[in-house]
Amino acid sequence: MAERIVVVGGGMAAVRLAEHLAGDDRLAVTVLADEPHAPYNRILLSAVLEGTHAADALTLRSEEWFAAHGIDLRLGARVLEVDRAARAVVLVDGERVAYDRLVLACGSIPTLPPIRGLVRRDGTLHPTVHAFRSLADCRRLDEAASSLVEEGALAPVTRPRAIVVGGGLLGLQVARALAVRGLRTEVVEGADHLLARQVGPGAGRVLARDLRRLGTEVYTGARAVRITDDGLQLDNGHVLPSDLVVLTAGGRPSTALARRAGLMVRRGVVVDHTLTSVTDDRVHAIGDCAEHRRRTTGNVSPAWEQAEVLARVLRGEEASYDGDRSVARLRATGLDVAVLGDPERAAGEVVEVTNPVAGSYRRLVVHGGRIVAAALVGDLSRVGLITQLYDRGTLLGPDEPGQLLLPEAADAPTPLPDEAEVCACAGVTAGEVRACGTVGECVDRTRATTGCGGCADVVRRLVDDSPAPVAVG
Amino acid sequence: MATETHCPYCSLQCGMKLSTGSGGSRRTPEVSAWEEFPVNRGALCRKGWAAAGLYGSRERLTSPLVRDRETGEWTAVPWDDALDRVADGIRAAQAAGGPDRVAVFGGGGLTNEKAYALGKFARVALGTSQIDYNGRWCMSSAASAGIRAFGLDRGLPFPLADVEETDVLVLVGSNLAETMPPAARHLDRLRERGGKVVVVDPRRTPTADRADLHLQPVPGTDLALALGLLHLLVAAGAVDTTYLAERTTGWEDVRDSVASWWPERVERVTGIEAHELRALAAMLAGRKVMVLTARGAEQHSTGSDTVLAWINVALALGAVGRRGAGYGCLTGQGNGQGGREHGQKADQLPGYRRIDDPAARAHVAGVWGVEPDSLPGPGRSAYELLDALGTPDGPSALLVLGSNIVVSAPRATHVTSRLEALDLLVVCDIVMSETAALADVVLPVTQWAEETGTMTNLEGRVVLRQRAITPPSGVRSDLEVIAGLAERLGSEASFPTDPEEVFAELGRASAGGPADYSAITYDRIRDEQGVFWGGERLFAESFAHPDGRARMYAVEHRGAAEQPCTDYPVHLTTGRVLAQYQSGAQTRRVRSLPDDGPFVELHPLLAARIGIGPGDVVRVATRRGEMTAPAKVVPTIRPDTVFVPFHWVGANRLTNDALDPASRMPEFKVCAASVTHG
Repeated sequence: MAERIVVVGGGMAAVRLAEHLAGDDRLAVTVLADEPHAPYNRILLSAVLEGTHAADALTLRSEEWFAAHGIDLRLGARVLEVDRAARAVVLVDGERVAYDRLVLACGSIPTLPPIRGLVRRDGTLHPTVHAFRSLADCRRLDEAASSLVEEGALAPVTRPRAIVVGGGLLGLQVARALAVRGLRTEVVEGADHLLARQVGPGAGRVLARDLRRLGTEVYTGARAVRITDDGLQLDNGHVLPSDLVVLTAGGRPSTALARRAGLMVRRGVVVDHTLTSVTDDRVHAIGDCAEHRRRTTGNVSPAWEQAEVLARVLRGEEASYDGDRSVARLRATGLDVAVLGDPERAAGEVVEVTNPVAGSYRRLVVHGGRIVAAALVGDLSRVGLITQLYDRGTLLGPDEPGQLLLPEAADAPTPLPDEAEVCACAGVTAGEVRACGTVGECVDRTRATTGCGGCADVVRRLVDDSPAPVAVG
Repeated sequence: MATETHCPYCSLQCGMKLSTGSGGSRRTPEVSAWEEFPVNRGALCRKGWAAAGLYGSRERLTSPLVRDRETGEWTAVPWDDALDRVADGIRAAQAAGGPDRVAVFGGGGLTNEKAYALGKFARVALGTSQIDYNGRWCMSSAASAGIRAFGLDRGLPFPLADVEETDVLVLVGSNLAETMPPAARHLDRLRERGGKVVVVDPRRTPTADRADLHLQPVPGTDLALALGLLHLLVAAGAVDTTYLAERTTGWEDVRDSVASWWPERVERVTGIEAHELRALAAMLAGRKVMVLTARGAEQHSTGSDTVLAWINVALALGAVGRRGAGYGCLTGQGNGQGGREHGQKADQLPGYRRIDDPAARAHVAGVWGVEPDSLPGPGRSAYELLDALGTPDGPSALLVLGSNIVVSAPRATHVTSRLEALDLLVVCDIVMSETAALADVVLPVTQWAEETGTMTNLEGRVVLRQRAITPPSGVRSDLEVIAGLAERLGSEASFPTDPEEVFAELGRASAGGPADYSAITYDRIRDEQGVFWGGERLFAESFAHPDGRARMYAVEHRGAAEQPCTDYPVHLTTGRVLAQYQSGAQTRRVRSLPDDGPFVELHPLLAARIGIGPGDVVRVATRRGEMTAPAKVVPTIRPDTVFVPFHWVGANRLTNDALDPASRMPEFKVCAASVTHG
């Protein structure tokens, strides 16, 4: 009989796991997704809000796909508890789903900052306040933003204002999205610089400057303490008038189920190198809810790596997760940020090229000749290459890190020496072309330009201007 | 007097005139422009201009040679003796282990007539299933993808000149400015019209220099790039939903599968920066788009899926079947197209029929005058065939036509050892190639314009390469070799040696098949400057699947079979240079073509890392072999990648024999290598 695998959660990690388990008939996979729609790509929600990604193109795998691959996908399935003794999960409606292996891929839940007036007496959020986690959140915020923009169009003097609480990756993406939509947007960040979890103060300052240049005010080292119908009050006494407040100030691993089931939980569900709970070897955890080597993560790249490793483990193969090389990229128009690993805390030598005047901050952390972390802000040149070198742990020469951070040298125009080949198709040198009086003569005598035709411009210039310098390439 | 004929080299099959002076004298023939021929309009590259350079070469073989295995000495023998010896060897091998003990290896440079006759010879005279050819290493991934997506494989389903009519041309893994230079003239005319050219290549090639946008992905990641591009086109609402609904199946799965390929993820995999991918998507959205792939995208263990991913892009844009748009493959070898249609491929019969299709077997057996059941089934693919040589279950005798395996096979040292394990190796060639040098019997054959035959160029245009010069005495055509062996083996089928007669038979054998040549004659080809099989433009109304729709497949990025590691930290990719063709057996012997030997192209960052200056000797090693060559230090290649041209012995000692599961294409274009001071 096939081994019953039950996955709690329908987010990025859960879908990735399902993809890797699909087609293995030794496994009977059930996915319990609490949201009502087919699993979608959460990463793209800020792009939907910004208007650069079609809202109807978020589905990662359709219900038909799950069915075609023999995976039992239950949408809107909320899990009430895990009965480890009976090896079953209990759904809100009382149904019990038995498992041989349980995978917790519950993700994280947004944290509500301690702001007075945020939660009203009836337990609902203040009407101007939005979370930004799910597709439903995104749709609600999208509608609110649209109607504010319309109102603003009617009364241009009082341009609608939005405040984003939290200056992390998600906060900056949402702030840019709202600004692109036409709202006057401000960012409030409790730490003393933006992206404090990822980068240092220098990079944070460059980012803040970029945001201000794009019309978004940034308040760092400032906490929101109170929300009223007029706006958001900061701990320094300022009141920022606001029509819309978005909370992006982080999330915490969703561990309530695991905790109630008696599994070891610190910040997340504690797992070993096989993504197996240290309490119960029939229970696994991946993604935002998992804690491995005292670390929880909050983005998709480790979640997917964990999903791939766990899929192998569940199929009985040797596999081990030993922490990951994470790459965080800000996805927002006009802001360029790439963070590889942990550039503030990674051990190694720091190679840094910053130009606050031009708004660029580039830092590599090199250990034993290998890039172990990097932060690139405001100038992403060679980010693709740097990422490759980081991911593959390529051993570099001593000058290389510095050269990677400098602009690529442009080819200087050089005069063509007579022996330089001008026409590769016919094997004609600059000297042979210069010896001709006209292009026509050159064609007849040398066959230059008669092959691919790529040298026609150079030949014309050589014939016309010889012996003046000619730029090639 | 001048004869209209075609260049001996690439799949453009440029028209050219060849004159020998009065009275058919033996002086070196002269090449001149054939302005009217539509594919190249008189343009030629230096290989074409120098095409006659092998004529009268001292290295030309003019007598059959037999090697003494004891002493290694070659002896010139009369043709009858040589053919007797080959026939004896074949009989001995088959007596010992059955028909499949004898294998045949053909080439994509052979004329349609030869490819057809060779396939027939294998199936009828030898009765062996063991036949394949070097075209398997050329465009088989595109062929496999084309058949799956469209139900039919014709490299370009439109004339090459249609390139000039598109809005955006996307060249994936093609360096046509060097590999088929006259084709590059179309790029210039396209740009003069305001069209855009995009080149995807890990090297900034002369072709990329002519592009409006050049993307330099990590080798082996073109598939992920296509997924990311389609992601952005979907995100922007730029797909043609009406076309997708009316003309395709499978779109929903494809659409969902690209939702997880957002630009920053693509950046991490491909090294293409997110803004570059966005620029490409913006360039394509709402435009008439033509996507052409070549070896750079196809010669991978994921080659056929890579092509399918790019076909999906073209289909999603509603481009395929639309004039001046669509998808095509830039075939490589001279008869790469025709060579794969007439039965020298392990799984095919003439007319691009499948050998496991009972109706196809019955039809072809009827033309050949044999029982359908007497035809063997599908055999091994090219690499698998070579890998099996001399093994207990593999062939012990091999007949090679139009291929220089020792230079062109992947993991060449291993393949060479397989050739050396044979009881009998027979090579038909014009010169003592590296492969011929290993043979027991070498049969000297006619070349190019010394004989008449048809070639099918990259557009599916069947052209006539007319005999223009007299072959040296002592050589025979491949058709004569085949007929001579068939006769000695007592074949019940006939093997005519007149090319026009063979072509007529090929027409009958292909009639009703996907590639149907039955209406094409030599006279029509002369009158019409080539005849397209299947019509000039395909897919305007429907695709070749029974339901008339194109099929879209959700394909996933897998990456190169061999990834860089501590011991082999860089990507190695291989390719061509302008002045050489394929294994160089011809071009390396033409004195007017420069031959400075192989080189190792690497970036200044990498050169500095390993302490190499321009011209220094570099040792490149992989898990399969090593080579040394001078360094060419250029800023135009990715710093994590080195490039070696494969026209000389060396590059393919390094390449990976990992195969594409669908096309059986080896992974020539990427493997992990180390580079050190030599």
